[in-house]
Amino acid sequence: MKKLRIVLIFSILALAFAACSQGAEVPTDELTIQLWTQEGESDNALQYVTSLTDAFTTMYPNITFEVVQKDTETLREDFQTASLAGAAPDLLWTVSDHAGPFTTAGIIQPVDDYFDMDIYVPSVVMNGQTWGVPISSGNHLMLYYNKALIAEPPADTDELIAKAQELTSGDQYGIVYNMTEPFWLAPWLGGFDGSVFAEDGVTPTLNTQAMIDTLQFMYDLKFTYGVIPESVDYDTADTLFKEGKAAMLINGDWSLGGYQELLGEDFGVAPIPMVTSTGKYPAPYTSGKYFMFPKDLSGAKLDAVVKFVEFATNEENQLNQLNTLKRLPGLKAVLDNEAIASDPILAGSAKQMSYGVPMPSVVEMRCIWDAIKPEQNLVLAGNETPVDAAAAMQSAAEACILQLE
Amino acid sequence: MFNFDAFLKSLSEIGSTILVVVLIVVVLEALLYLILVKWLKVKNALVYMLVSPAILGLLLLQIYPLLWEGYISMTNMSLSHFFNYSFIGLRNYVRVFTEPVLKQVTFLPLLWRTILWTLINVFFHVTGGMILALLLNRDMKMRGVYRMFIIIPWALPQVVAAMAWRGEFNYEYGWINVMLKQIGLTPVQWMTSPTPNFAAMCLVNIWLGIPFMTVIFLGGLQSISGEFYEAAEMDGASNWQKFWKITLPMMKPIMTPSIILGTVWTFNNFNIPFFINQYELESSDILVTALFRAAFEYNRYGFSAAFAYVIFFILLIYSAIYAKTTGALKGVKD
Repeated sequence: MKKLRIVLIFSILALAFAACSQGAEVPTDELTIQLWTQEGESDNALQYVTSLTDAFTTMYPNITFEVVQKDTETLREDFQTASLAGAAPDLLWTVSDHAGPFTTAGIIQPVDDYFDMDIYVPSVVMNGQTWGVPISSGNHLMLYYNKALIAEPPADTDELIAKAQELTSGDQYGIVYNMTEPFWLAPWLGGFDGSVFAEDGVTPTLNTQAMIDTLQFMYDLKFTYGVIPESVDYDTADTLFKEGKAAMLINGDWSLGGYQELLGEDFGVAPIPMVTSTGKYPAPYTSGKYFMFPKDLSGAKLDAVVKFVEFATNEENQLNQLNTLKRLPGLKAVLDNEAIASDPILAGSAKQMSYGVPMPSVVEMRCIWDAIKPEQNLVLAGNETPVDAAAAMQSAAEACILQLE
Repeated sequence: MFNFDAFLKSLSEIGSTILVVVLIVVVLEALLYLILVKWLKVKNALVYMLVSPAILGLLLLQIYPLLWEGYISMTNMSLSHFFNYSFIGLRNYVRVFTEPVLKQVTFLPLLWRTILWTLINVFFHVTGGMILALLLNRDMKMRGVYRMFIIIPWALPQVVAAMAWRGEFNYEYGWINVMLKQIGLTPVQWMTSPTPNFAAMCLVNIWLGIPFMTVIFLGGLQSISGEFYEAAEMDGASNWQKFWKITLPMMKPIMTPSIILGTVWTFNNFNIPFFINQYELESSDILVTALFRAAFEYNRYGFSAAFAYVIFFILLIYSAIYAKTTGALKGVKD
């Protein structure tokens, strides 16, 4: 009983300390922080994570880290299971869409009390509270082009079609992108002035003229203008662009580094061309990587984690991340850094990001993805009309959301 | 280089678990010894002492989860009721049969598709396996080499095989479509169209399943005495007659359990339908993949637990009927 009381007093004290944020003391006892991340080894991101934790341990030798790498979906499932079993890790480094399920289940805590959120780019805000600290921002799609094949990127979709038609012949294609995933449909939907949710952020609005126009446009690129190969998924698009068989590619910022290395001077980045009929720029979803705090994190561990998060998102480390991973920062101060403005690739990426919209992270979004995906594929296989597809999406999304309860 | 530090570290992580397991076993055995041998003086005390750790393990790892799942299946546990779920009786079981299991598909169509999938696969596994076994069951040169090549698909981890095949079904670069184009046919959208995707799943699983049946059947064929065939030959029986009248009846004790096993495995096959269905077409889901998606993508835990119990009972009934009608388990009871 006495022990419990001490723990209780200690956590209240810790909370009080944490409330004054920057004032948090670094605990002096021996601590091991378990950090779960979904960063992989192949793009050097996991190495970047461990370099940060190692540097922090060098500064505070009593705080060590156990970095556990998991695939994005596995991380979500395992964190849910671990939380239910009362064995959650101490810190998460993950994508914004996990905030939806995690807040619904009530297994992460808001971070407003520990950090001054004004110094960061807009974060995951739900129910008036902030649920993550931004590590990097972006994760958005943009237009990549091969300067050896096309000198200037097209300004609008009419120009895009005209140029792509010139560039398409035999096994050479004007433009390629992953047509199988709704993530690649989302920018066009924004460009045609649509959105997947109504104002309230949870009611699906898929059976709209904007969605029909979007599907029709994607259909036309393939069937009417014939500037896109029969069937393109992520890997096919990636390979065609790398082999110089496609002049333009729509892909995300995570792949910037690889293409730059391969194409060198010939590699160009631009916003996805404006939709001529609406005069709007396509709006890719933006998100990023966030630190999230498990519900039961408290006491000395909380103090240590807060300090580490401050360390990982300080100006020096954010610049470091920009240089090593080519990812746009989560700290506003670094977003204005000249390192971005002077680099044409990063500047192009930053410009595209300014047209983007934050990806919804509510749990209902899962239903939206799952409702769009099969219909999108049916339309692009020529097996369904855009009008029917939009109606089917809406009913599938509505049915799915009903079941979430 | 053997990393001794890492070895010690991982040992220290699992060491405590092993220690606890050993301790529990020792305490259990000591208790049983005192009660059964010293106090009650039971005749077969050693037998009980030997099986008791296994029984305890089964209770903890099999029975307890089953009971817990039974309880969860009668609650409304989901993401929005993660800790604060409540008892709702049999409502989840009603919902399994009345509401869409995933996005739009309901239980019965899903069940028919699973049965179709099982029938197609088991049929080809058995016939293909039998043909190959008959071909191999002859005197020929390099029989061992052929046998090795035929077993390879079985030796591959299923996930690896599924991933490799998925690449071959790629529209643009996949081997199958490249071949189709070469002989002047139109390429098929294996990944995005419902029927071709289902066919692709079946193709891969048939390829994977034949070797197992071949190996089992070959063993069975080799145990049939040559005298039967000699006698039949003297009576002037054709090869076809020999197969139907001698081989097949003699193979029945081998084929029955392998067909039961094959059916249950195929019915419950997760890897192939899940990984070949890259774009999550609802039309390619079978019961178990739908169950996985309901539980871990839609987080409908209570509903999924009920769903899992329904699948479990279907297989239980199937196995019971099959075992009874074929008398496959007769040997166990005698």
